[in-house]
Amino acid sequence: MFNSLPNLQVSWEVISVSQRVSTTYGESPILAVVYALAAIVAIILFMSLTAMTLVYTERKVAAHFQCRLGPMRVGWHGILQSIADTLKLLLKEDIVPDQADKAMHLFAPVLCVLAALLALIAIPFSPYLAVSDMNIGVLFISAVSGLGVLGILLGGWSSNNKWSLLGAMRAGAQIISYELSATLSILVVVMFSGSMKFSEIVQSQDQGWWIWRAPVVGLVAFLIFLVASTAEINRTPFDLAEGESELTAGFHTEYSGMRFAFFFLAEYLNLFIVSSMGATLFLGGWMPLHIGNLTFFNQVMDLIPPGLWFALKVSGFIFLSMWFRWTFPRLRVDQLMKLEWKVLLPIGFINLLLAAILTLSGFYFFPGNS
Amino acid sequence: MNDTSAQPTRRIPITGYFARIFTGFVSLLKGLKITFHYLSHPSTVVTQQYPENRATLKMAERLRAQLTMIHDDNGYHKCTACHICEQACPNASIHVAERAKPALSKTELDTFIWRLDSCTFCNLCVMVCPFQVLQMKSTFESSVYDQRLLIYNLSRYAGPTSTVLAKQADDEARKNAVEPRSVYDGPTALNGFFLAGIPKELLVTLDRKGEV
Amino acid sequence: MVSSEMASSVLPNSLSHTRAGIHISSLDERILKGQTDSKERADRETTQEYFVNMGPQHPSTHGVLRLVLRMDGETVRDVIPVLGYVHRGMEKKAEYVGYRQQVHFTDRLDYLSAVMGNWAMSSAIEKAMKTELNDRIETIRTIVAELTRIQSHQLWWGVLGMDLGAFTPFLYGFRDREKITAIFEETMGGRLTMNYIQPGGLMFDIHPDFVANVKKFISYFKPLIEEYEELFGGNVIVQERLKNVGILDAKSAISLGVTGPILRASGVAHDLRKLEPYGVYAKTKFNVPVGTVGDCWDRYQVRMQEMRESISIIEQLIDNVPEGKHMVMKFGAKIRVPEGVYYSQMETARGIFGIFIASDGSEKPYRMHFRTPNFNNLWAITQMAAGGRVGDLVAILSSIDIVVPDIDR
Repeated sequence: MFNSLPNLQVSWEVISVSQRVSTTYGESPILAVVYALAAIVAIILFMSLTAMTLVYTERKVAAHFQCRLGPMRVGWHGILQSIADTLKLLLKEDIVPDQADKAMHLFAPVLCVLAALLALIAIPFSPYLAVSDMNIGVLFISAVSGLGVLGILLGGWSSNNKWSLLGAMRAGAQIISYELSATLSILVVVMFSGSMKFSEIVQSQDQGWWIWRAPVVGLVAFLIFLVASTAEINRTPFDLAEGESELTAGFHTEYSGMRFAFFFLAEYLNLFIVSSMGATLFLGGWMPLHIGNLTFFNQVMDLIPPGLWFALKVSGFIFLSMWFRWTFPRLRVDQLMKLEWKVLLPIGFINLLLAAILTLSGFYFFPGNS
Repeated sequence: MNDTSAQPTRRIPITGYFARIFTGFVSLLKGLKITFHYLSHPSTVVTQQYPENRATLKMAERLRAQLTMIHDDNGYHKCTACHICEQACPNASIHVAERAKPALSKTELDTFIWRLDSCTFCNLCVMVCPFQVLQMKSTFESSVYDQRLLIYNLSRYAGPTSTVLAKQADDEARKNAVEPRSVYDGPTALNGFFLAGIPKELLVTLDRKGEV
Repeated sequence: MVSSEMASSVLPNSLSHTRAGIHISSLDERILKGQTDSKERADRETTQEYFVNMGPQHPSTHGVLRLVLRMDGETVRDVIPVLGYVHRGMEKKAEYVGYRQQVHFTDRLDYLSAVMGNWAMSSAIEKAMKTELNDRIETIRTIVAELTRIQSHQLWWGVLGMDLGAFTPFLYGFRDREKITAIFEETMGGRLTMNYIQPGGLMFDIHPDFVANVKKFISYFKPLIEEYEELFGGNVIVQERLKNVGILDAKSAISLGVTGPILRASGVAHDLRKLEPYGVYAKTKFNVPVGTVGDCWDRYQVRMQEMRESISIIEQLIDNVPEGKHMVMKFGAKIRVPEGVYYSQMETARGIFGIFIASDGSEKPYRMHFRTPNFNNLWAITQMAAGGRVGDLVAILSSIDIVVPDIDR
């Protein structure tokens, strides 16, 4: 049925890092290995830097939402606070509860970070910067980020603490439920762009972003994705798994030091991943803001490099998430389920149906050009 | 409860599925508007950067944070060692030690011990003092690493009151009547069991008292 | 009647013995030890119940309160409060110090209504001594007490937000409470425990800037109440979390001895300021907000409305504070109260705070009893929280607005 769609006009040349490594391998295998290693180091560096920046940003943004200043001591306006905190967490004693399942207790945070790290592979930062541009990129991220819940479940279970267990069970039920709505909203974009490959999804937004180009359904899908993704990464108003006032600290009650830091790292990486998913699917990813055939406007927008576009859109998405967190209270556990199964899921299905009709009839903005 | 059906419940109007989603959505947006207002107006920040703003920090005049004994320009106080403040103190934070051999009056103050660690800052000692000897000050930075450092000696000398001293003929007579006491009126470096201004025996008994 | 119903719902039917203050049936005991076979468990229920200690170290028990929860999954079956973690022997201690020194103890019971506690103690002593106070003292006491009520409710509003998972209201509440504590600091020399109202008057006269600052605060805070409502009360999540949660009907509220905003939220217009006016409340016009259902939402509404009423009371009084002395009794170290039995009660921010003095004519009371509102209010939780979720329990506990030192004394 997607054959009726016109073929994509590829105006940007997309080269992923993995492609580059395999091309280099033909010329010089050693160089390719060095190249691959450099990419791995870069990813790990990127991972920790992103998490640190996000923690700092979150603290600053939260502070100003609450008429405070936030960290001000370490460095200019506390800019080195995250580094100090990381050092502190590294040096802290690693406390494991006496009756805990020691191996699982250690494995859980690692699993969480691993899931986030795997998802990072498919994210297209710019046309030339993505580790791998696989043809099922969307599916890959959805699948891999679902792995993170296993870490949370394990962490809660192995801690041998009833609060932890409650938190873990909540997280399990919540993440699996909201995965459905998130996927339904992603499917809308997949349908319009006719591909699951991130580079093609981005290219399909050459004429405009799907959030507005797909009339109404794009916006509805975006809102559903926003809610569902917030729930998937356990942030307020869906932070039931941690639920500080209810479950002390939920699944990571019994974690401290570096193990806790790993959960923290995974949480912020997931925030980044979800935000870049949202930015890529609904806000055009690294594609500059183009509107139809307004050539002059489009050329002006092209002056800003695609990497910067991506960063800006992701920052916007992250800010939205922080804004929610520091404004809303938490839902109750049954209300959370009600919201998913009685509100989001039906709307998601109807939206998907409408999107299918719109796609087939070509009834959306600039259908012929993409 | 077993009889929940008998209890009154609040009726939440079911105004339709989409209407409720819409009103809920609007209420969320209103909240977002308020928090964004504070984010976008840095002038609404109310916190103070405390140790940095020490120079400009102004505490309320009446703030009770530190008990002091008023000494006049000559360095003499008016305390007659009448023990009224000691009696008024609800938790024995004040110990007035009389001079063993009074020089001019019947009773004379030796050391005025005040325990910040047990003081509740109720202000009764200041209020009941018939001679207005005591005063509460707003200097609040009194944290130390050792509890014993919170035992203060407020009197600067052992001897009669300023009125009695004023009646003396000359400075020489005044000098003979008083005996300087090293004041301990603030945290100093930890120096074993010895605290300047407070007799060692007294400190030990005070410590025991504190345990009870 | 209600209490017996309550007992039957709180305690399992077959009581075998007591462990750690909790009544546990023999089956419960064996389930806990894992000694039951599958048939036995299936007979009882398909899921296994478990016990959780909420507290004494828990973020939303507001201090060192311990609640033992019997839970079935996320559902709370029973709540059993275990008290005594901040028991300081206040009543016994009171027998060893004089009357003058009693006042500052009341600061340390319900520390958020410190001034009202001072007032209750002072008025009990004044009743005993038959002291006549002038209008200035009474007016200032009333203004200060209403300011205390507002600051207590501000803190409650913030803490309710935090307990429901929104951290921002917590800081907004504290930000605005800071304005009142600054006024208190200026006049009384203390921010939390002021020891301001003394038998026979006030410790200090009001600060020269007091009237101006209170007016400034009122004009600052009036629009902010509406902002509170918009940010938090109007929020759909808050309404979903509070409506129909923790219902306490009027009959049970009365038989549990619940007082204050919780009783009024259950539909009983019981307010000592109206029923037995003290201070200058008789001269002021104000309404007693009353709820209809008695759920958390009613308690929220009642407290928000009380803040508005308190502002209106202060507005009526602040412009014409009468002249006069601020202390009509000699400020001596000791007070000798004539032999007899005296009782005085006040409507604090949490309910009725009563002080009972049995005097044998000496400098120290023969017996002192504090009737604290939080003690009775807390026990309503056993009735309100059973059958709800953990999240509901936290909301209910927050809507009761407990101060633990006041419970344990």
